[in-house]
This record gives sequence, C-alpha cells and structure tokens, in this order.
Amino acid sequence: MSARADLFDLFNEAPCGFISVCPKGLIVRINRTLAEWLGKTPEDLMDTPFRDLLSVGGRMAYETHIRPLLRMQGFVHEVSFDLLGAEETRVPFIANVSERRDADGGVLSYRFALFKSQDRRLYEKTLLEARKAAEAEVERERQTALLRDQFIAVLGHDLRNPLAAIVSGIRIMKRRSTLTERDIMMLDEMTKSAWRAEHLIKDVLDLARGTLGDGLVLQCELATNLPEVLGQVVEEIRLGAPGRTINADLNIDRHVFCDSERVGQLLSNLLANAITHGDPAREINVSATLDDDLFTLSVENFGDPIPDDLRENLFQPFFRGNVRERREGLGLGLFIVSEIGKAHGGQVAVDSTDQGTRFYLKMPRLAKETAAEA
Amino acid sequence: MILEQNNVQTYGSGARTLVFAHGYGCDQNMWRPVADAMADRYRVVLFDYIGFGQSDLSAYASDKYATLQDYATDVIKIARELELQNAVFVGHSVSAMIGALASISAPDLFDDLIMVGPSPYYMKDGDYNGGFSPAEIEEMLEFLDHNHLGWSQAMAPAIMGNTDRPELGETLTNSFCATDPQVARDFAKVTFLSDCRDKLPEVKARTLILQCVDDIIAPEHVGAYVHANIAGSTFKVLDASGHCPNLSAPHQVTAAIEAFL
Repeated sequence: MSARADLFDLFNEAPCGFISVCPKGLIVRINRTLAEWLGKTPEDLMDTPFRDLLSVGGRMAYETHIRPLLRMQGFVHEVSFDLLGAEETRVPFIANVSERRDADGGVLSYRFALFKSQDRRLYEKTLLEARKAAEAEVERERQTALLRDQFIAVLGHDLRNPLAAIVSGIRIMKRRSTLTERDIMMLDEMTKSAWRAEHLIKDVLDLARGTLGDGLVLQCELATNLPEVLGQVVEEIRLGAPGRTINADLNIDRHVFCDSERVGQLLSNLLANAITHGDPAREINVSATLDDDLFTLSVENFGDPIPDDLRENLFQPFFRGNVRERREGLGLGLFIVSEIGKAHGGQVAVDSTDQGTRFYLKMPRLAKETAAEA
Repeated sequence: MILEQNNVQTYGSGARTLVFAHGYGCDQNMWRPVADAMADRYRVVLFDYIGFGQSDLSAYASDKYATLQDYATDVIKIARELELQNAVFVGHSVSAMIGALASISAPDLFDDLIMVGPSPYYMKDGDYNGGFSPAEIEEMLEFLDHNHLGWSQAMAPAIMGNTDRPELGETLTNSFCATDPQVARDFAKVTFLSDCRDKLPEVKARTLILQCVDDIIAPEHVGAYVHANIAGSTFKVLDASGHCPNLSAPHQVTAAIEAFL
C-alpha cells in the first residue's frame, strides 16, 4: 500500500469516527467507521447538515454551549452527546471538537473525533442515578428524623397530661372509706400501670433527645440533694410495688458532682428492672457508696441469672430479652441507664450469677475540673 | 456590593453607555469581541448574572431567581449603581427579554434596546411556534448533567493560554460556560418556560432586533413576531448563522448596532 493509500485507509477505517463540518454546517468529510456506527455509508451523509445528526435537545445544547465554547477557546474536549443513527436510534459518543481557523480567526471547519461510548454512558448514567438516589434518600432521612423527633416530643408531652389526671383521680378515690378490698387492689394495679406508663413516656422522650437530638444534656452541679432524690425514688417504687421488699443503704456523706435528677432516673429504671425480673419472693437491695474518687450505686435482685448471649445487648435501645413474656416496656430503660452513666463520665455494668443479679453505676465523684478546684 | 456580586466590568469611554448582557449558557465573555470593538467610542459595561461566570455564587438561591423579572431587577440595580441614564441595553438570547422587562420597570435607564436573537416564548402554543417542547428542554438538561463543561474542574483548573485569541487573556478551560448544574437547570426553566409575549407591547424604548439566519433557538419567524409586537421597532437580519452572532460575526453586530444608534 502506498503511504497515501495507507493514510486514507487510516482515516476511513480508524477505530474512531471523524467528521469535518464546513462553516455553513454541512458535513464535508466523514469516515467509514462513523458512518457504519450510525448505520449508514459516508456517501449517505456527505453534504448533509451536521445538525440533522443531533436530536432537538442536542441541537439546543450544541448551539448554547458547544459552539460558543468553540469560538471562544477553539476546542471542546471530552464532550458527551448522542448522534442519531438509522431509524432515529441514538448512538452515544464522547467527542473532541476543534475549530480550524484562517489567519484572521475566521472559521475554516469544525473537526470532530468521536468514540462510541455505549458502556461508558451506561456506567455514567448509573453513577448519576445512584448519586441522585442517594441525595434524595439523605434528604428523606433528614425529613423523617426531624418529623419523628417532633412527633415523639409532642406525643410525650401530650400523653403526660391525661396521665397526670388519671393518677390524681386514683389518689382521690383511694381516700374514700367505702372501698372494698377488691377496689383497693384494683386501684393499686391502676397506680402501677400509670406509673409504668409515666416511665415509658419519660424513656421515649429521653431516647428522642438522646439519639435523635444532641445527646443527653446534663445539668451537673455539686449536688447537695442526692441522698434525698435517691431516697424519694426508692419510696416511689415501694409505693408502686406494694408487697415487695426494697432495702436501701445509701451512704452518701459528701457531695457528688452530678445531675441528681438524672441519677435518680437511673436508679428508678434499675429498680423497675429489678422488680420486673427479680424473684418476687426475695428482696431488692439498693446500695450507694462513696470514696474520694468514686461514686458507686448498685441495685441487686435475686432472679434467674441473665444468659450470657443476652448480656451483650442489654444496654442497646429497644432490646428486650426473651427471658419472660411479659408486658414490659419498650426496652429503653437500660439503654437510658447506660447513657446517663456515660454522660457522667462513668459506666453501668452488670454481674449476674446464681447468687443474684447486680447492676451498678461507677462514676467519678468529681468531674476533672471540679476536682482541681477542690 | 452589586457590582462585585455580578462581576461588573466597565471600560472604554464615550457619550453613551452600552450594557451588554449574556444569554443562556455562557458568560459575559460572549460579548467581548463586540464590546472591545466599541470601547473606543462608547463606555461599555459587561456583567455576569448571579450563578454564572465569575459572579458571586453565594448570592444565588433557586427561589431568589425564579423569574426573568428577578434577573431584570438585578440589571436595574446595576444600572442605578452606575448611575446610568439614557443608556443602551444589548441583550443576547434570553437577555433580550430581561432587557425588555428592565426597560418596562425602569423606563429612565435605557433609551435603546438591542435584542440579539430574541424569543418571547420558546414553547409551542397554538398558532405560535416557539420551537420546543418540555421534553426537548429536558433532553438539553440531560446533556448538561452529562457535561459539566469545566464546572467540576473549576477548582483545579488547567490554565491555558489563548495564543490565537489574546484578547481573552489567560482563562480556564471551558470556564466561560462552566455553570453549577443546579443553576443551569433553574435558569433553563426560567429561560425556556417564561412567556413574555404579553410584555412586548409595553416596551417603549427604541428597539432593534438582530436576527440570524438558521437560528434554531430563536428562528426568524419568532424574531418577526417580536418586531410585530414592539411598536416602532427595527428588524435586521444578519448574514450570520446560528444563535451567537456576537461570537461568529462580531463585526456585523457592531456595525448594525452603530448604524441603529
């Protein structure tokens, strides 16, 4: 083959497409590879308007973006668009385009080198769709979380008011002298239920604040009232669970840097747990001890030991052991206990054997900065 | 503030001021060849709409620029800041309509209105054929989704020297048309779905319509419609094809504007 024939063959049979378009927009050269990709022959396409190969949307993009760019910078590289093949099929391409100019900057021709990009386009399309889907999903999640947060806050608030009315109604009824033993028993059960409902609401609100919001917010101080708060909690639980023995040994002779309401809530949840799972015939022991550095609060019951496989997940939200089928809470109690412990820089753990089950909080008596001051 | 936000460039000198406004797609560089050619006889003002070119992107919000009137309001603000009076507004493509709206809202600013490739409505509607359907607009937007045209590289650009067109100076590859894809999408909607046909009779400025042959974005019969609906307007068909005579035939555009003024 002569050099000229070889060059001609390279143009025609190159593994990419070539087009040359005159300033009036007519195709003046096109190689065989491209024509074949479009299901035509070079002769079919010679002297036809280049824009006939573009869809209407493609023409708009070409006129508003590609042609101005060609004029301003002389080339456009790696642009992705479709050309219309036989029977209006669309063939995707990646193209480099350049503007050939005369000495005065006038256009001599536009030259295109095109690669068919069926697979690549599919890949890009998939990526684009995945990104759009991910963005939509994130936005949906955000909206849902916001809504859930608001819903829980409103629900919790609105549930508390009717509950307060029920509790005070029960209290008034209990003062009557005409009650039968059966009435009293029913009222006690109602008190227990109301008390449990109150706790569930509180747990749910804490969950909403803790996991969906900014985490548990503590109002810590050198608490002078911790013994009173813990004593009250024990008293309330005793009232709510008549017939159960709760021994309390609270040795708190110094101040603890904490949010005493939260520590009270922690004790309340641990006690509720002990009443639910402990042997009803046996006592429950509450103990608080203090040394220079450490505050320890523990609640012990004498139920069946917690199986090892359950123990790992005890402090996860919505976790409910299958120990007994009961009308327990939401599985939030121990999660919140653990969160309160963590927020105080301490931790909650459990020992459970045949000898008994003991949950305990260990936390620093003083926060670091407070310790320095003291 | 507004002058920085819209990347307003003022140069040249003369008794009258020409404000050049770019159309859909690229930025003020579209007007460089014409503005440069006229700068020795006129004061020229170039700017980028918010969201385009070197404008302040942080000033953009989809709901803030939801109508052509919102863009016209910025034009009026720029003109007031520059204390323009009896100026000439030269708008390419959609900017022809933005200029019409600005001149209706603030008649004292612009005595003359030059519309290059105008279309008051790009959709088909009864006897009126603006040329496009929503599906075709969507297809163009798909093209932009697949071709950010320099947008993604805008932060890590390859600098290229324009040895053969030194008037452009050093600039970033494709940056003239680099637009945030969301802005491009919003502006396409505002551009192609706005219907300004009712507004044309309200235009009181002296108006020149420059029409290209073979312009698929703004075909000749649409230019003729604009001419018929603006009283006293002048209609001139240029010997240039395509939608951007300001780039492809700057000498003709310059000559036509000067002849009209």
